[in-house]
Amino acid sequence: MNFFKRAWLNIWAKKGRSILLILVSSAILMFVLAGLLIRSAAVKATETAKNDAGATMTLSANRQAAFKKMSQSSSSSSSKTSRPKLTLTPVKLSDATKIAKLSNIKNYNVTSSTSANAKSYDTVSTTTGMGGNSGGPGGMKSSTSSGDTQIDGVTATSLTTTFSDSQSKITKGRGITASDKNTNNVVIEKELASQNNLTVGDTMTFKETSGDKNTVKVKIVGIYKASSTSSASAGPMSTDPSNTIYASYTLANTIKGSKYAGTADSVTFNVTNPAKVSATKKAGNKLISSKYSLSTDDASYQSVKASMDNVEGFANKIVWLVAIAGTIILALIVILMIRERRFEIGVLLSLGEARWKIVAQFFTEMLMVIVVAIAIAGAGGKFVGNQLGSQLVSQSTTTQTTTSTTSGQPGGGQPGGTKGSGGPGNMQATSTKTKDPNLEIAVSAVDLAELGGFGLAITFLSIMIASGGILRLEPKKVLFS
Amino acid sequence: MLKTQDLGYWYQDKTQPLFQGINLTFESGKSYAILGHSGTGKTTFLSLIAGLDKPKEGDILLGDQSLKQIGLTNYRRHDVAIVFQAYNLFAYMSPMNNLLTAMAITEAKHAGDRAYAKQILNDLGIGDDLIDRNVQHLSGGQQQRVAIARTMCCDARLVVADEPTGNLDEDNTKAVIDQFQRIAHEQNKCVIIVTHEPDVAAQCDHQYRLENKQFTELA
Repeated sequence: MNFFKRAWLNIWAKKGRSILLILVSSAILMFVLAGLLIRSAAVKATETAKNDAGATMTLSANRQAAFKKMSQSSSSSSSKTSRPKLTLTPVKLSDATKIAKLSNIKNYNVTSSTSANAKSYDTVSTTTGMGGNSGGPGGMKSSTSSGDTQIDGVTATSLTTTFSDSQSKITKGRGITASDKNTNNVVIEKELASQNNLTVGDTMTFKETSGDKNTVKVKIVGIYKASSTSSASAGPMSTDPSNTIYASYTLANTIKGSKYAGTADSVTFNVTNPAKVSATKKAGNKLISSKYSLSTDDASYQSVKASMDNVEGFANKIVWLVAIAGTIILALIVILMIRERRFEIGVLLSLGEARWKIVAQFFTEMLMVIVVAIAIAGAGGKFVGNQLGSQLVSQSTTTQTTTSTTSGQPGGGQPGGTKGSGGPGNMQATSTKTKDPNLEIAVSAVDLAELGGFGLAITFLSIMIASGGILRLEPKKVLFS
Repeated sequence: MLKTQDLGYWYQDKTQPLFQGINLTFESGKSYAILGHSGTGKTTFLSLIAGLDKPKEGDILLGDQSLKQIGLTNYRRHDVAIVFQAYNLFAYMSPMNNLLTAMAITEAKHAGDRAYAKQILNDLGIGDDLIDRNVQHLSGGQQQRVAIARTMCCDARLVVADEPTGNLDEDNTKAVIDQFQRIAHEQNKCVIIVTHEPDVAAQCDHQYRLENKQFTELA
């Protein structure tokens, strides 16, 4: 394999030309690698979005069906004095359990909200609020009186979007967990705690707003801090967000009355694979009656996915455009190189060297150049990828995504256990907070292998294009010209 | 050793051949000079017997085998060595690597033998201080001697040279021709030199003049 030695001797003897070739190849491969890195980072970010952004499915009363029933009864009613009443059926936990058994369900959060009046403490008064009136998720409060303290019953605070999105944070003690079921443990807001000198371990009492108006004694197990934006959904009739107390849904049901035992305003299911949320909803709908409805919220995932799809598509274009342009550039360089080395080729042919070995010599020379270029591109590709990637992401995430989560549920609850809002029948549109997709550009062995593949392909193609000259070259014309 | 049978060649027009019906025999251990004015076709004739082109008519035989049967690439690799007026060495190599490369390509029996290549170079006046220097740093005479050394290190039975002294001064010309004579007589090879210099031709064993499309042997 004498052509290896010839290739090395040529590369070594013509250092200046070799360095220039290395620089050109490095620039080409650096952009190829940047494209590859952005593409793989976008794929990874989309995967991460599946886990982080996630998607939820909410089981709640079917308000559309309830309205329909109400309007039918009002048209058939002869009495003009009796007003039609919207009757919503609370979600049975037994139905929720059936859905929870579906394969794509990671976990679920039961939400049951109510209100009570403060007894052993003073509520935080707000300057803008009209005080005292709030609604729970799912609009279930339409038939109950309102108190000055909002009680959000949940399975676990960590499963609510308020806490998982860090809009609220536990600052002392702990949050509500599944083990708090059938207990009177609560988590109160920091401002309410400091106003009443309450801390973890203390007890407080409030009074039910309906029925026997019993006094309920609860134990504080944690204190949370709500961010200022958490009151964004509060209307003029809502209570100050600091007056919201988190408890187990069983406590909320107890306060609401005995008929609410084993029910919930809504149940939010966290879906394992957001890409399959529609199929899961379809399967879930088969398990419930028409009195309930299942709504989905995968806006966060879709938003991240859409922007990552854009980035991935653009990265693919970069890879292919640079690869094609690089092949053409390198082919032109090799063609020029071969033209200036036609005497050498002629002498090789006059010595009886096979033409394929001459092509192999040029290929080996370019291969040596490409190997060094891959190493340089590997070092610099991450930097270029980072710059290009962050630019692409910032461009693709400028569009704010606003989603309506109220499919078929006027005034319906907010999936994910977000705090309830407004009065009865309140139509609610929420702006979903989407996490900014972050491209983590890192050069892995796979990326380098892929880059090596591209480098080889570019070298091979450019040599093949240029070798037409070698194959056609007539040594007599060159050597005796 | 090498015979041409009714050899003919033309470029565009068959009716205007450079030469036609050429029947010559070249023997081992002898040197031949081919003289002629510019444009008579002597270099074309050389390219045919060097296996760099195919005859338009007739045949060339090495022993009793046609070059068509041997294959031009095979023939160039094993049977013929060429010296050019412009030396045509590998510019990015040293004299030593030029020889080693030629020996490797032609699959010479001494392929890879540095000592053998060094001996040949030393014999031709390329000293130890020059054998690993880039050939571009050598004088014209030295480069031509390296080109001759390249033909000597290979096992080719036929050595053809196209105006090998065209770029050399009188002293170097004499040295180069002496070397070709040694190749023919001492190594029992057939040496064919194309030249337009009668003085150079006069030193060869046989002289042919290409004139009016025919070869004529000079007395």
